[in-house]
Amino acid sequence: MLDAGGMIVHGRLFCASTGHSLRYHASIMPATERIPVTVLTGFLGSGKTTLLNRILTEQHGKRIAVIENEFGEVGVDHQLVIGAEEEIFETNNGCICCTVRGDLLRILGQLLKRRDRFDHIIVETTGMADPGPVAQTFFLDDDFKRQFVLDAIVTVVDARHIEQHLEQMDEPAEQLAFADVVLLNKTDLVSEAALERIERRVRGMNGTARLYRTRNADVPIDAVLGIGAFDLERALAVDAAFLEPEYPFEWAGLYDLPAGRHELRVGGEVPHAHDHGHHDHHGHDHHHDHGHAHHDHHGHNHGDGLALVVLPAAGVDDAALAACIEPAVRAFAEAPAVVACGGALRPAAAPYRIDISHAGGGAVLELAQPGTVAVFCEHGPAEAGLAFAGHAPSVQRAFASHHHDDEIHSIGLSDPRAVDPGKFNDWISYLLKSRGEDIFRMKGVIALSGEDRRYVFHGVHMMFDGQLERPWPVGAPRINTLVFIGRNLDRQEIEAGFESCVA
Amino acid sequence: MLETRGAVVLDDFVADLSWAPDGGRLAVAGGEGKVFLVTRPVGSSTGAASRALQAREVGEHLLGALSVAWQPRGENFVSCGQDGALMLHDGVAGQQLALQRPRALGLTSIAWAPDGRCLATASGRQLNLWTSTLELAHALPPLEAGIAAIGWDRPGRDLAAAVNGGVIVHRIEPPRFELRKYAWEAPCVALAYSDNGKVLACGTQDGSVHFWYLNTGRDSQMRGYPGKVDCIAFSGDSRWLATAAGDQLVLWDFGGRGPEGSRPLQLAGHTDRIDALAFQPNGNLLASIGRDWRLSLWLPGKTPGALDAHLTEAEPSCLRWSPDGRFLAVGERRGRVSIYEVLRLA
Repeated sequence: MLDAGGMIVHGRLFCASTGHSLRYHASIMPATERIPVTVLTGFLGSGKTTLLNRILTEQHGKRIAVIENEFGEVGVDHQLVIGAEEEIFETNNGCICCTVRGDLLRILGQLLKRRDRFDHIIVETTGMADPGPVAQTFFLDDDFKRQFVLDAIVTVVDARHIEQHLEQMDEPAEQLAFADVVLLNKTDLVSEAALERIERRVRGMNGTARLYRTRNADVPIDAVLGIGAFDLERALAVDAAFLEPEYPFEWAGLYDLPAGRHELRVGGEVPHAHDHGHHDHHGHDHHHDHGHAHHDHHGHNHGDGLALVVLPAAGVDDAALAACIEPAVRAFAEAPAVVACGGALRPAAAPYRIDISHAGGGAVLELAQPGTVAVFCEHGPAEAGLAFAGHAPSVQRAFASHHHDDEIHSIGLSDPRAVDPGKFNDWISYLLKSRGEDIFRMKGVIALSGEDRRYVFHGVHMMFDGQLERPWPVGAPRINTLVFIGRNLDRQEIEAGFESCVA
Repeated sequence: MLETRGAVVLDDFVADLSWAPDGGRLAVAGGEGKVFLVTRPVGSSTGAASRALQAREVGEHLLGALSVAWQPRGENFVSCGQDGALMLHDGVAGQQLALQRPRALGLTSIAWAPDGRCLATASGRQLNLWTSTLELAHALPPLEAGIAAIGWDRPGRDLAAAVNGGVIVHRIEPPRFELRKYAWEAPCVALAYSDNGKVLACGTQDGSVHFWYLNTGRDSQMRGYPGKVDCIAFSGDSRWLATAAGDQLVLWDFGGRGPEGSRPLQLAGHTDRIDALAFQPNGNLLASIGRDWRLSLWLPGKTPGALDAHLTEAEPSCLRWSPDGRFLAVGERRGRVSIYEVLRLA
């Protein structure tokens, strides 16, 4: 074996199998000169092809080349549609996290020769595809990184079937985990409560994706094209709520109420204990067992009641609600008082657990004098079926969900302390080596000690890219922000790892 | 050393070029789809001033032409495009002689056997052989992986295909097509045979060059490139293997005991990615073009720097030597096709 020795310095990509060092350079590639690439994923029947056709036919002035998994599915005159065979292979001597799409390497290589022709490229994957190799293809090749920019991974979800798919297969969760944009499609086929529940679940898996509810994949083009999700500068345009600490509730509202008894109804879509299937619409044999809990399709039931906290508030505005958050967190930590159907509630620093086994059940809030109360509920109002008779909240707020029922979830960190570059490098190297397979996406903005510019990074599995970008604003706090999306991630481990990097 | 001998600006960017065997005409593939026939005015090589080349459109591929290849010793050339079509053109009159659509995949590499009797095309995993009148002669069984590049050995007996996992060589002896695999666990993206038939080399996506001595099957690897090695060529005397990755131009000496244990030549001059390199037919001059808008001429082993370099008017896209090695044609992204004469050293 020959070795060119120190002929050319290696140092482009990190790969666990070869132990290359992390890329750490200061060059900035103007994003405008690179061709944006959108990766479109989604199960068969999710509406992916509908979205693609919409993009190709709408008047947006963009010249688009489509790399399609099966040739001929989409066909629009004067648009370049290239058929591809998803050829996945490993690079870097068999490191399984360095799988790429070989067909994309070739096709994009060809398109590069004609890059003046296109404003945008869309790569459509097959329904069962893991988006990892597609994304990694762009990290692998320096020439590609220079000429193309991965704009976003867009995942289209069939709202009606996604919960079932998530229970049965791994791929839908992976497609959601990789997504920068999620289209919750076919929303006309499911209830508001189900949509809330699905959104909460998606949020839990992927705290940073932008989520749109659509019918017929009808979404503004600029919501899916040209959003620059992989642009390092914008890598951390994350929903601020995601970076907040974990809350034990998902929703809060302020109600300005007169003195007296106020009926609080809950349980809009919970299993109906009294519904014994006596509506047989089919006109045949009445002895069929229709099941007694056929609405409980989601594996998370409300059987042990709905937890909520009612606190007195000092006003009817956002500030008054915000002031109640911390007391509410403390209150949720207390043992709940169980309230039977129709039982009484009073503002208190402890949670109630309301029996919601009966449809339209609930409790009665008793107020000795008029005032504003803050209600914190473990679920959103549509899902919990929460309503005060005759009153609407003056202010309400949703809190990001951090329920980790799914194997795949996301973890966000936010910390104002400066980070030691060497220690950070060591930690990320270790993390990628040990957990790269489970980390689907990660992104971050880091305040390195002694450095006035932000260090911005992102990664897909073990593929990693980071660079110094524009300076931190003078006088403003420098907040490190990191997001990890993956399988069975351990928040404590990641927090401890970050802690070890503090300068 | 390099003297401009003519230019023409086409209304398209230049995706590929191919010289007619007599060096008097060029076929040009346009990125928007047009196929051109460019003629070099007679006697232009003796004039001091640049003269305009004559260009005419002779065909069109929908959504972009990818490659052109003039039949060795012939008067016709083929073009292929993103539309999956393969066209045979009359290189004198310009009309289309034949059209084939082997597959609805636009990705096609084309290569004539050196004697011009057989054309090989690659599309996805499929290798096809065509007669000189563009009739399908043989469809080889699909390969195990997609084909990144193809090339013939000098005698035209072996057809090599670079794939992920090595190079697959078919011995083209109808009706038998014997297959051999030169395995190397990496995506191979470019290949080159030495003219003396002793060495088959490939560049890989992983930033290395791998080669095999064909008489023994022994192989070696050169590592340390900054990225994929997609430019690779042997000199006409089979001594030098020129390779490029990024802005690095690296030459390995296959003379004497071979490159094992030696240090390569590194030719400094390009300041941005090298997109193409080519050795002079039957000679040792090496030409290269890069995204630094530079056309450079080198004489490996003799001079450390470039013999000459020209700045092009736009980013160059392709580079071809005339069959007699006297002229270089350079295509640019903005549509210019320029011909340079390579003058003797003083």
